[in-house]
Amino acid sequence: MRDKIQEALKLSKADYTEIRIEDKESTRISYRGKDLENANAVIDKGGVVRCLSRQHGWGVATFNNLDDLKNKVEQAYQCALVAQSNEPIALGYGEVIEEHIQVEMKHDFRDVSMAAKKSLAENYNNILLGSSDKIIDTNSVYVDSFSHIYFANSEGTYIEEERPSVVVAASAIARDGDNVQQSHESCAGPFGFEFVQDREEMPRTAARRAVELLSAKSVVGGQYTVVADQMLAGVFIHEAFGHLSESDFVYENPKAKEMMVLGRRFGKDILNVYDDGTIPGQRGTHRYDDEGTPTRHNDLVKAGVLVGRLHSRETAAKMGENVTGNARAVSYRFPPIVRMTNTAIENGTTSFEDMIKDIKLGIYACDAYGGETMLENFSFSSGHAYMIRDGEIAEMVKDVILSGNLFTTLQNIDAIGNDFKWLAVGGGCGKGNQSPLPVGMGAPHIRIQNVVIGGQ
Amino acid sequence: MDLMKELTQKAEQVEIINLQNETTTISFEANQLKSSSVAQTRGTAVRVVRDGRLGFAASSDENATMKLAANVLESAVYGDRLTLKFPSIQPAQQVRTYDQKIVDLSIPRLVEIGREILDLIIPVEPDARVNLNLTRSVQSASLRNQTGLDIAFERSPLGLELEIDRIVGDDVLIIFDVVGTTEWNDEYLGFVHRLVEQLKMARKLTTMRSGNMPVLFSPFGALALALPLHEGLNGKNVYKGVSPMRDKIGEKLFDEKITLSDDGTLHGRPGSAPYDDEGIPHKRNVLVEKGVLKSFIYDLRTAAKFGVESTGNAQRGLFNQPEPSSTNFIIQPGDTTLKEMIASINEGILVEGLLGLGQGNIISGAFSNPLALAFKIEKGEIVGRVKDMSIAGNVYELLKEVDAVSQETEWVYGSFHAPYVLLPQMNVVTKE
Repeated sequence: MRDKIQEALKLSKADYTEIRIEDKESTRISYRGKDLENANAVIDKGGVVRCLSRQHGWGVATFNNLDDLKNKVEQAYQCALVAQSNEPIALGYGEVIEEHIQVEMKHDFRDVSMAAKKSLAENYNNILLGSSDKIIDTNSVYVDSFSHIYFANSEGTYIEEERPSVVVAASAIARDGDNVQQSHESCAGPFGFEFVQDREEMPRTAARRAVELLSAKSVVGGQYTVVADQMLAGVFIHEAFGHLSESDFVYENPKAKEMMVLGRRFGKDILNVYDDGTIPGQRGTHRYDDEGTPTRHNDLVKAGVLVGRLHSRETAAKMGENVTGNARAVSYRFPPIVRMTNTAIENGTTSFEDMIKDIKLGIYACDAYGGETMLENFSFSSGHAYMIRDGEIAEMVKDVILSGNLFTTLQNIDAIGNDFKWLAVGGGCGKGNQSPLPVGMGAPHIRIQNVVIGGQ
Repeated sequence: MDLMKELTQKAEQVEIINLQNETTTISFEANQLKSSSVAQTRGTAVRVVRDGRLGFAASSDENATMKLAANVLESAVYGDRLTLKFPSIQPAQQVRTYDQKIVDLSIPRLVEIGREILDLIIPVEPDARVNLNLTRSVQSASLRNQTGLDIAFERSPLGLELEIDRIVGDDVLIIFDVVGTTEWNDEYLGFVHRLVEQLKMARKLTTMRSGNMPVLFSPFGALALALPLHEGLNGKNVYKGVSPMRDKIGEKLFDEKITLSDDGTLHGRPGSAPYDDEGIPHKRNVLVEKGVLKSFIYDLRTAAKFGVESTGNAQRGLFNQPEPSSTNFIIQPGDTTLKEMIASINEGILVEGLLGLGQGNIISGAFSNPLALAFKIEKGEIVGRVKDMSIAGNVYELLKEVDAVSQETEWVYGSFHAPYVLLPQMNVVTKE
């Protein structure tokens, strides 16, 4: 493969050329209710060539037929000549890397039979189904995938990498008359089969929560002090703030540059946010990004002040900043774009008890259940939530949807917990049709003043 | 190796789908033509029924046919026991899905269309930043099964994806639209004119109070009403018991101004084709007629579970098994004009776009969304854009009483067709 790739690269007439080839096999088992919906394996193999003509722009060719790489290089180059960028495009520093990354799984899932994978998902499904007669539907999923990735560019970098991923997820849907509620739990990581075994607590939690939500009342809309659990805080910082730190959002946009100017105060001194693609065992972790740039720790907010952002080689050059190792592609079907790796709010000092003890009336919002952001405006649903009354966690409430302005909301974070954790959850992040990209998220509990909660 | 021959020796039923796609994309980023791309992809998906059990496998590697065959047979060892029958050939309606005029669009012509769009927007809004993707595909699909069914068709989707950001001081406005067709239309700039009108209208800001008031949903805004119904009408959600409409066929659930249908036979729509992805002919299915629930949508698998016929709504990607899904989802237009509707409102709001559509427990019918784009209506006239508002409600309650449904309709995101819908009373919240 290496010779074939490098031979094709040699023929390129472009200013910069890269080739990425991916060979992936994955297995999926899923139960829905009592039915086994999927027990199957799929094969996905293909490649992408990306060429840059500095005076024009980018050209991309994606394909499944790997027989004629030279032709694909020419096709991508012709595409690049179509572009008409206003200014010549430069690339940030590209270190020449030569490496072969192999992984060792404790219990390689490629050696596990379909029967054993099926019985794992079946066991979790039985726990969901058996938890209560109010559970009317379930979803128990096991997915593994193993990719071989070959990356090379015209600057001499050549990287071969193995990427394993394993996910289990459990959803329970409970019904009482016309009242239908659901709850979802998952766990995922770049590991072997051992990582998803002995997770009986996961379906138990999903089932218990769906049933509990049946008797929860809808929250009364209004402004509240909100304490977000690690999951909601992690998803919030990723969705509402993280995406604005991706430089492809700012680099061509003078107004967005003003909004995201380094040195601007975003929060109180206690707020620290970073993105780090080097943390062992997290879902967004890789030694190199999909442009071959080494990943690293990138501070985004330090003591409440914006200090950094995430780059591809193009955005780094355009903004005169260093590359950060954040150019990522969800598969060979796409070129890399600026993405987060593992994004987190750094641990603080407040205990959970201290955080809630002075709240007369507030909301403890847990889990994220979808959300959308539009520039600085966001809207998030929490999976489940509780009222806080006189400093104590009180009854469960449902339909808790948080919305607001990112800048005001970050400023309103007035306590950061001392209970940081990484969230090893399934799913992934979507951007520009590229979904789901595995990312890591982490946070401690946080307290936010004056959050608008939707309600009827 | 002949996959069909190989597998029919080992399984009672066999279905093979081959997909091929060539897509050309031209991308403008911040008003500049930054890149273009060509994607040539293909793949094969196989289902078998062996010893009464269903198996599935797929591959994009054409050199891996042996492995594909082994994978599908292994999958069938564990698969669901179903009384599912792959269909023999049935006559289908003629549906136009391929237009040589689209296929023949050269890359320079696609670039020119992009420029024409920018030239309509930038002179009106010099501060606007436009991201624009023009995508032209040629897709061919073939479906064969052991009954001898052998169908093949080609499609030529053309898609335009447009995002306009306008940031003036603290005022941020983002307008997003996607249009799609498989038939060339000389009026291809129509949607841009509409967006430009919106941008102009959105310049004037005003404020309004919270409270109960009439809410007028534009075709885009009507997505908030349609999404929960779209989920609830899906046979899979009915089978799972989570649809609030289960067991209610024949009941009047909504105002009689509400008629909903699904129609995969409309010429030139992205959701259209002569057959669905299991070889069942597409047809027009009336789901709700004058407020009365008539039918759900099914694929073979969900239909088999209910002991009914598939409605021709199977949809699949290469790596997934078919699922019931709508083709073109349609809210029937009414007989009021938009002008009359606006004129009838003393104090109310026009909802053009919502943030966070589809999130939360939407199957229950409940929604609660900030408004991304909304206008105040006062004494029968649109008086300006309002910000920081949100609406919440449950569509199963709200649609019991509808004031009016317009004659005017729009295609939203290519495959949802809706009129303006006026609700008499809804809670609107303004952030203080």
